[in-house]
Amino acid sequence: MSRDRPAERRLQPAATPPSRRHASRESGRQDAGGAAGWKPALRGALAALVAILLLALSGLAFGHSPRELLTILITGSVGSAFALQGTLLKSVPLLLTGLSVVLAFRAGVWNIGGEGQFIVGALAALLASRFGLAASLLAAMLAGAAWASLASLMRLWRNAPEVLTTILLNFTAIHLLGWCVNGPLRERAAMYPQTDAAQSTLPRLGGLHAGIPIAIAAAIAAWWLLYRTREGLRLRATGFNASAAQWAGVNVRAQLVRAMAVSGAAAGLAGGIELLGVTHRLFERFAAGYGYSGIAVALLAQLHPLGALASSFFFGALVTGAGELQRAANISAAVATLGQAVVILVLIGYEHARSRR
Amino acid sequence: MRLSHITKSFGVTRAVDDVSLTIEPGEVLAVIGENGAGKTTLMRIAAGELAPDAGTIEDAASIGFVHQHFLLVPELTIAENLALLRPRFRFATRRTLEREAAETIAASGIELRDVARRVAELSVGEKSKLELIKAISKRPSTLILDEPTSVLTPHESEELFAVMRALASHGTAIVFISHKLPEVLAVAQRIAVMRAGKLVLETRSASAESLALAMTPQQSPLPGREAGERARVRGALALQHANLTLHHNEILALLGVAGNGQSQLAEELRRQLPHAGHIPEDRTRDGVIAQMTIAENLALRGVGDAAQRIGRYSIRATGPKQLAGDLSGGNQQKVVLARELDRRPEIIVAAEPTRGLDLEATRFVHERLRDAADAGAAILLITSDLDEAFALADAMQVIYRGTLSERMTPEEASTRVANLMAGVA
Repeated sequence: MSRDRPAERRLQPAATPPSRRHASRESGRQDAGGAAGWKPALRGALAALVAILLLALSGLAFGHSPRELLTILITGSVGSAFALQGTLLKSVPLLLTGLSVVLAFRAGVWNIGGEGQFIVGALAALLASRFGLAASLLAAMLAGAAWASLASLMRLWRNAPEVLTTILLNFTAIHLLGWCVNGPLRERAAMYPQTDAAQSTLPRLGGLHAGIPIAIAAAIAAWWLLYRTREGLRLRATGFNASAAQWAGVNVRAQLVRAMAVSGAAAGLAGGIELLGVTHRLFERFAAGYGYSGIAVALLAQLHPLGALASSFFFGALVTGAGELQRAANISAAVATLGQAVVILVLIGYEHARSRR
Repeated sequence: MRLSHITKSFGVTRAVDDVSLTIEPGEVLAVIGENGAGKTTLMRIAAGELAPDAGTIEDAASIGFVHQHFLLVPELTIAENLALLRPRFRFATRRTLEREAAETIAASGIELRDVARRVAELSVGEKSKLELIKAISKRPSTLILDEPTSVLTPHESEELFAVMRALASHGTAIVFISHKLPEVLAVAQRIAVMRAGKLVLETRSASAESLALAMTPQQSPLPGREAGERARVRGALALQHANLTLHHNEILALLGVAGNGQSQLAEELRRQLPHAGHIPEDRTRDGVIAQMTIAENLALRGVGDAAQRIGRYSIRATGPKQLAGDLSGGNQQKVVLARELDRRPEIIVAAEPTRGLDLEATRFVHERLRDAADAGAAILLITSDLDEAFALADAMQVIYRGTLSERMTPEEASTRVANLMAGVA
């Protein structure tokens, strides 16, 4: 059957994205209406808890007591106003890149290119910063969308799978940034390979910045788009079953292109906010894995925009707490990356156990 | 091998109903019948793949079964696929495997070059040759081929028939499942005709016409029309596509054995007529979106007030928020009907709308299609079910190998469709 329809096949993503796998075995039967029900939320919370406990237990291997590690992790991330502030600042880019992945995966598009879209978003924000804050944020979104859409173009022209093209575009963006900060955008003082400070900044809110309400608004907007609009309905239908969606009158190709663009815009906005709110300058390691971490955020959120609020906070706390671990217990902060991996493995293990029942 | 009084049911359907059949060595036996007549099920029982509910198999032979679908590993080469037939652990170099494969192929009498090629690169014809080689290499006393020619070019089919004759002349019993009459007549020495699970004819010499007649259910004049149903007056022209013409207030049945281009036509029409009502042929894949609720499925076509639609289309569900994937097949199809028909499209393309549905759901689908035609819709009913066509259609056309016959009235069609569908007219 599918052999006869190359035109349709080229619209299918390279592999089954997580949205299908998760939802196809959804046990919360009255789910999907938007509020998502409590079962996926519980599943995510459980996965986070198990991951933290495993992480603490692994301290035994290095001669640390799990209790001590847990204490440092928790106090270092939410134990004081200062720690909480650090956690919230880390959560903002994670929330936006997480939303970026939620939107793409819900449509069945493998956008692994959050990292690259984050970088070009920040680059565009920097260049547009002299036209004011609004222009700068807008430029970040447009640049992220455009960068992501390059993958859509390659899909439409040459049927290139997004998994590959978006990853390759990450490397392209990283090198583009490297060239910029060493060449045309290098600071006037020319001391370090970094740019001058952006000419706009996000308003400060105490020790935080206005990116926090913007990111929360973005999460609510994403939820509204997915669960309260016709377009969102079509987007989710495409992600669940592109072939059936086509028979139900959905223009699947347009959905895939749009989802990729919106997803890229969210990641670009993340980069713009990180620049205008936190770093103010660009340097080579600016992205710091925020794009990739967005995948973990989205998966832990069970691909739900409001779930991403909680999961981005969790991963933000993990990163901040891991920094404290490094200072207090001399354990590498890479433990945060390890934590992400453990969360995903726990989720996969849970899905696997459920599918065998 | 002797099969006696074999019966097998799937749910309420009797796939095979009290069939007795002998398979003789050195003979090509063709088992023919429409889709769903029970041919494959009977042969899977003979091969020991399925257990019969009742009946006995005597003198069970060693059997090679070439399935309709390929059972090959596309990532491996021809030689590696053949090596998989020997499950014993051993060390072997690539060269050994390729030499053994070449020997196996030579012994089979089938031509297949270059065993180092990956199966994914082979043409469909070559893949089916490889399947045949696999089956023959075990030297079975009986070889069963399930619709082997459906994917072959005429030339490749001829090659296959030559191999079949050669094997039979060496004493192998060959069972050839098909629904293509010309090739059956060309190659078989004995022909068994199945219809609705029963063996209706066993013959050594028959004409294409008599076989076609035996394959298709006997038609009482205009069966299925309920008494008192008024004939609709055909309305204005609604669609002209190639030599397909659709009129308002009319159900045109497009009859054909599956695989004669119906899917391509339905897809073409879906692309050309995005606003028409489309009932997809592959219900499990393309019907409802299983992970979404009934309400969401309906909303995809802008159909609101799901609770009311659930009542109107008598969908058995707990409510609008139930996931469509949790509904039974018949109720899923009702959701599709509600989604596609409720906005009263001018044109409706319904492909196999009742395939696999129970009687109640089938009757419901038929009523809705009649209602839609009464209300002015132009309906193209693509079906391989003759009963359905005669029950609903105001006019008929037959599709065979991608070509449409001329329009017929049901009266004209009752004598001609069987031959047209089998391609013997």
